[in-house]
Amino acid sequence: MTESDDTTEIRTDGGTGIVPPDDETPDWTERKERSRGLSRLTYEYFERSRREDQDLRQESDYVERDVLGFPTWPHETIRNLAITSFFVGIIILVAAALPPEFMDPANPNSTPAIILPDWYLYWSFGLLKLNPINPELAVLGGEKVLSDQFYGVAAHGVIFGILALVPFLNKGSARRPVEQPFWSAVGVAGVVLSFTLAALAIQNFFPFELKLLLTLTFTLPIVAAILTYAVLKTMREGYMYDLNKRYYRLRPPK
Amino acid sequence: MSLEKKDDFDHDAWLKRKDLTPVETAFLTTLIWLDKRLRIVDYLELLETMYYRVNLQMPKSHTEQYDLDNKFWYWYPLYSLGSLSIIAYLVAAVSGALLGFYYSPSTAGAAAAGDPTAAWISVESIMKDVQFGLMLRGVHRWAAQFMVAAVFLHMLRVYFTGAYKEPREVNWVLGIVLIGLTLLFGYTGYLLPWYQLSFWAGQIGVEMALATPLVGEWAAQLVFGGFTLGQATLVRMYILHVFLLPFVVTALIALHVGIVWVQGIAEPH
Repeated sequence: MTESDDTTEIRTDGGTGIVPPDDETPDWTERKERSRGLSRLTYEYFERSRREDQDLRQESDYVERDVLGFPTWPHETIRNLAITSFFVGIIILVAAALPPEFMDPANPNSTPAIILPDWYLYWSFGLLKLNPINPELAVLGGEKVLSDQFYGVAAHGVIFGILALVPFLNKGSARRPVEQPFWSAVGVAGVVLSFTLAALAIQNFFPFELKLLLTLTFTLPIVAAILTYAVLKTMREGYMYDLNKRYYRLRPPK
Repeated sequence: MSLEKKDDFDHDAWLKRKDLTPVETAFLTTLIWLDKRLRIVDYLELLETMYYRVNLQMPKSHTEQYDLDNKFWYWYPLYSLGSLSIIAYLVAAVSGALLGFYYSPSTAGAAAAGDPTAAWISVESIMKDVQFGLMLRGVHRWAAQFMVAAVFLHMLRVYFTGAYKEPREVNWVLGIVLIGLTLLFGYTGYLLPWYQLSFWAGQIGVEMALATPLVGEWAAQLVFGGFTLGQATLVRMYILHVFLLPFVVTALIALHVGIVWVQGIAEPH
């Protein structure tokens, strides 16, 4: 392997034979290519075998891509463990600080003054209180098409239906909110609507008329949407300006 | 024309061309024989990968490749909301299984309206008598709250980063189904203690069902076991909460994550 004059040389590295790698140190592949005998043959065969696989892969319609990412161990694993234990710890801490409430047993004969579901169903409960805006159609002689109660139930269907339709309406490759002001505005309107519907559900809490609360329930989301749209449009100007600046710095106009 | 392979991968012809010694021939024949059956070459690639791992020759991550490091790191916590809701789901599952040892879904024992029922008494004993029972119920309740919150925020993140677009519509719709089932999980869950809130929340549910034309009465029978709340309602809620929904939701979560796995995470560019 090594040439004979190597052994006669005075060694300055302590005789371990370990030298720091530099550009001239052959890497593993090169070492493989230079080797002889059976290992060389193995290498050659594996190269053929690999090329065979490669050809077969290219013939098939299976799409192969490079996987880009951090390795599972230790990066992903340690990070996930840290996040998980932190999160579970917070759950336990909050559970210890705020023990669950407990009420009187169910009594069909006494309706409590306040009936409210858990907070995450407030919006749904607010939808059930929309009966004041259930339209009375003149065509039907002031009759309502839907009963007041079913109006609220049907509203749930409308909400879930709209949500399910979103990806089929909003196409294109835009990803950031600045790139799609309209849809971001729609999203903000949805978020604000869920909050105002929650406010409608706990209406007794607010010291003003129900009519005003109903008006606010539907005007606030629209106001928020308009504001969002304006802000994002303005931001987009700056964003495009930035992109253009970078573009023209690379390719200055003649 | 013969059926013999004459292409590049005719290893026998290659062996003949090489003009090898008997030792080499024997070695290569064995190697080829084994490799044909066990694909040793794949394991060699594994070794190679390990070699590069040890030498810290990492492939670039998405953020590195597109130089997004300085722009997006502060959004990354929002990208963990999906897994946080799964973690909360698991915590709720474990604590819920333990709570299930002590809970009894029964309205028995109430002589008059407003008397404690067996379900209410069992929850009370969990909170007062069982070792760590109060803690257990607290953890279960808060895990549920955290899960719902995480699921809602996860939906917002997906919406505002446009992650539901083109190839991922199915997963978005699946996510909406999962949100609905999560809310149903919460609803059936807080009916179980059979205290005042449970009863009147159930009442609202029955009224919603009965308000629906055509299928309403049938749905009320199916889900609530009748038009007035009682033992049948409680047992149905119990079965929904501890049997039906866990299976369905777990399967759908697996499908949801599986689709993310196949399609990759949609990061903003």
